[in-house]
Amino acid sequence: MNKVWLIAKRELAERLRSRSFLGMIILGPLMILGLVYLFLSFDSNKKQTWNVLIMDKNELFEGKLMPNKDPNFNFHFINDFVDYPDFAHQEKFQKFDLTVWINEKVVSNKKVIISYRERPSEAIQRKLVYHVERRLEEIMVEEFTSLSVQKFREIKQPLRFSLKDTYDPKNEKSLTASWVGFTFGAFIVVFILLFGMTILRSVSKEKSNRIVEVLLASVSPRQLLSGKIFGIGLSAILQVVVWSIIIAVGLYLLRISLFPDLLSPEMVANQLTGEITEAQNWSNQSPFVELIYQKIQFSNMLVFFILFFLSGYLFYGAFFAMIGASMGSESDGQQFIIPITLLLFASLAAGYFVVLFPDSSLSTWLGFIPFTSPVVMMVELSNGFDDGEAWRLYLSLFLLLATAMVMLFLAGRIYKNGILQFGHRVRFGMLLKWIKK
Amino acid sequence: MLEIDGISKSYFRKKVLEDISFKANEGEILGLMGPNGAGKTTLIRIINQITSADKGYISFQGKLMKQDFLKDIGYLPEERGLYRSMTVEKQALFLAKLRGLNSSDAKTQINYWFDRFGIQGWRKKRIEELSKGMAQKIQFICTVLHDPTLLILDEPFSGFDPINIDLIRKEIIRFKEQGKTILLSTHNMQSVEEICDKAVLIHNGQKILEGNILDLRNEHKESIYSISFHGNMIGFATALWAGYEIIDKIAHTDEFFTVYLKMRKENEINDLLGAVMPHVKITEVKEVLPSMENVFMQQINGDKVAIDE
Repeated sequence: MNKVWLIAKRELAERLRSRSFLGMIILGPLMILGLVYLFLSFDSNKKQTWNVLIMDKNELFEGKLMPNKDPNFNFHFINDFVDYPDFAHQEKFQKFDLTVWINEKVVSNKKVIISYRERPSEAIQRKLVYHVERRLEEIMVEEFTSLSVQKFREIKQPLRFSLKDTYDPKNEKSLTASWVGFTFGAFIVVFILLFGMTILRSVSKEKSNRIVEVLLASVSPRQLLSGKIFGIGLSAILQVVVWSIIIAVGLYLLRISLFPDLLSPEMVANQLTGEITEAQNWSNQSPFVELIYQKIQFSNMLVFFILFFLSGYLFYGAFFAMIGASMGSESDGQQFIIPITLLLFASLAAGYFVVLFPDSSLSTWLGFIPFTSPVVMMVELSNGFDDGEAWRLYLSLFLLLATAMVMLFLAGRIYKNGILQFGHRVRFGMLLKWIKK
Repeated sequence: MLEIDGISKSYFRKKVLEDISFKANEGEILGLMGPNGAGKTTLIRIINQITSADKGYISFQGKLMKQDFLKDIGYLPEERGLYRSMTVEKQALFLAKLRGLNSSDAKTQINYWFDRFGIQGWRKKRIEELSKGMAQKIQFICTVLHDPTLLILDEPFSGFDPINIDLIRKEIIRFKEQGKTILLSTHNMQSVEEICDKAVLIHNGQKILEGNILDLRNEHKESIYSISFHGNMIGFATALWAGYEIIDKIAHTDEFFTVYLKMRKENEINDLLGAVMPHVKITEVKEVLPSMENVFMQQINGDKVAIDE
C-alpha cells in the first residue's frame, strides 16, 4: 500500500507541476462562469435605456404610451414616417436606438414595424411590444367597444391549455430539471475523457521512456497501475473540488453583484404597471437564471456527481490504461482511443434520450449499463425518483462500481503482459491473449 | 545466494527459455552472456519478478524468491529509463523510497553517492537537461542507492566514455569486495574476461555453457602458441614441418617476429622448440588461450578461433 501511495503521490505531484493542469483548474471554472455571465447578460442587455422614436402619423397614440415610466425606455413621438435610410444616416435621428412605426391602418391591419440600430435583447423586445400592444388595446377598446379596458383584457385572454403528465401533474420532472442532470452528466464525460487521457498518456510515457522496467523491479504491475489510477484520480477530485468552489463562489458573486434584479421577478414586473404582475412572469424570460439559482439542488447533485464520476472514471480509466499499456509506440493505439471516445459520446446521447423519454423502458436499462449510467443517472437524479424507486440509483452505482473493479482486474492483466512489449502493433486478438494469460 | 533452477518460459507457444539452471554465490560476479534474443532479458525479468516463469523456481538467499526480496536487489535494465521532467534529486529520492528506504536514509545515501560520483551540482537539474552519459550515471546510482545484496546489471557500460566505464568497473569490483553478488549481462566480452568470476552462456533460450572464466578459456583452447624470436623468418619457417601450422605472424622489425602456431597431431611444444632453436633466438613462448569472445563465437557459430592476442 505504501508503494501504491508513493506512486500516487508522484502522479499527483506531476499533475500539480504541469502547467496545463494548473491552467485548467483555474481557467476551466472561470470559463464556465464567463459563459454563465454571457447567458445571463444576454437576458439583461447592458444597455440600460433605449431611446425609442414612435412614428405615429395619425397621432393615434396621442403622444402617450403608458401611465408609468419604464426606466428601460425613453419614448419620443413624431407624426410622420421616417424612411430607413433617413433614420439610419440623418444626424437628427442618431440619438434614437429604435423606431416603432404605427401605420395609419394599424387598427385593421395589425401591423407594427420595429427597427433597430443595435439588436435589443429578447426581454427588451418583449417589453416594447408589450407597451405598444397595451396602448393599442386601449385605443381599440375606446373606438370599438363600450367595455372597460380591464374587461376587454379579461375577455381577450386566450384559453390556457396545459399538457400535464398524469404521474407528474406538478411538472416536477420538468425538462429544465433534466437538462440540469444532463449538464452534470456532460461534466462527468468531460472529466472522464480528460483524466482517462491523462492515464493513457502517463502509462504510454512511462512505457516509451522505459522507466516502467525500473519501477516494475520494485512494485508489481497491479500496484503500479493502482497507484497511477489513484494518483490521477486524486488530481481529478482536486480539480472537481476546486471547480466546485470557484463556480459556487462565482455564481454567488454574480447573484449578489451583477444580477440582483434578475433574481427578483416581481421587482422587474413592478417596474411596468401594478396591474400586469400576474400577466407576465418575467422569470420565464430568464430560464437560465431560474435553472442555475433555483432548479439545481447542488448538494445532492454534487454528492452523486462525485460518486458517479469516480466510479465512471475507474470504469473508463481501466480502458484507457489497457490501451496505454498495450501500445507498441506512443503513436500506436490511436484506433482504440476512438471507440472509447465514441462510447463516451454515446453515453451523452443516452443522457439526451433519457431527457426526452424519461419514462421509456430503454431509459431504465440505460441507467444500469455502466457505459451510459453516469450520464443517465445524473438526468434521472435531477428529475427525482418516485417513492420506492431510489434503489435504481444505488443499484446503478453498485453495478458501475462492480464492473469498474472487473475492468480494473482485466486492465491489470493487460498491463502486466503488455507494459514491457514494444514495437508491435496493437491488435484486438493480442489483448484477448494477454487477458487470458 | 541466487539459484536459478529449471526456469522455462514461453510466449504464445514460442519457447523463450528452456530449463535454465545456474547459481551465483556471494561475492561473485557472474557474466550472463548470449546473442540478442537469446532470452537474457526475459530471465532477468523473471529474477526481478517482473514476469513469471512457466516452470522452475528462483531462490534468493536460500528462500523462494518473492516480491519482498526485491528491496535487496538492484536492477539496472538495458533500456535505461528515468522521468525526464523530474529533477535528479527528486528522481533518486522517489526510486530509493520505492525500494524501501525511508526519507532520511534515502537522503543520506543520495548524499553519499552524489559525493562519490562528484555530481552534487546536478541535484536540481532535470533529467532532460543531462547528457546521455550523465543520465546513465544517475541511473546507476539509483540502482545501488538502497545498498542491495544482489545487483543485476544489464549492459552497465553502454553509453559511457572510457573514463566512466573505468569508474563503473571499479564500483562493480568494490561491490564484489563487499560481498555482494553481481549478475552482469553484457556483450562486452572484454569486461566479462576482466571482472567476471563465472559466466553462463544462453543461446536460443538454452544454457549452452557455464563455468569459471579461466576454466572456460582453458576448455576451449586449441593448442595455439605464440613464439617471439630474433632471426630470419624464412629460416624459422623452413625449420618447421607438417606438424605445425602458422596461422598468423607479426613482424616487429626485419629481425624480430612473433608467430602464432597451431600444433597438429600429437606434437608438443618441446618438439617445436627443438626444431626451431638451432635457427633462431627465441625470446618468449606462451600458450594462447581463447578470449571469451572467441569462446562465445565458437559456441554460437562454431567458428574457428581467431587469434586476437
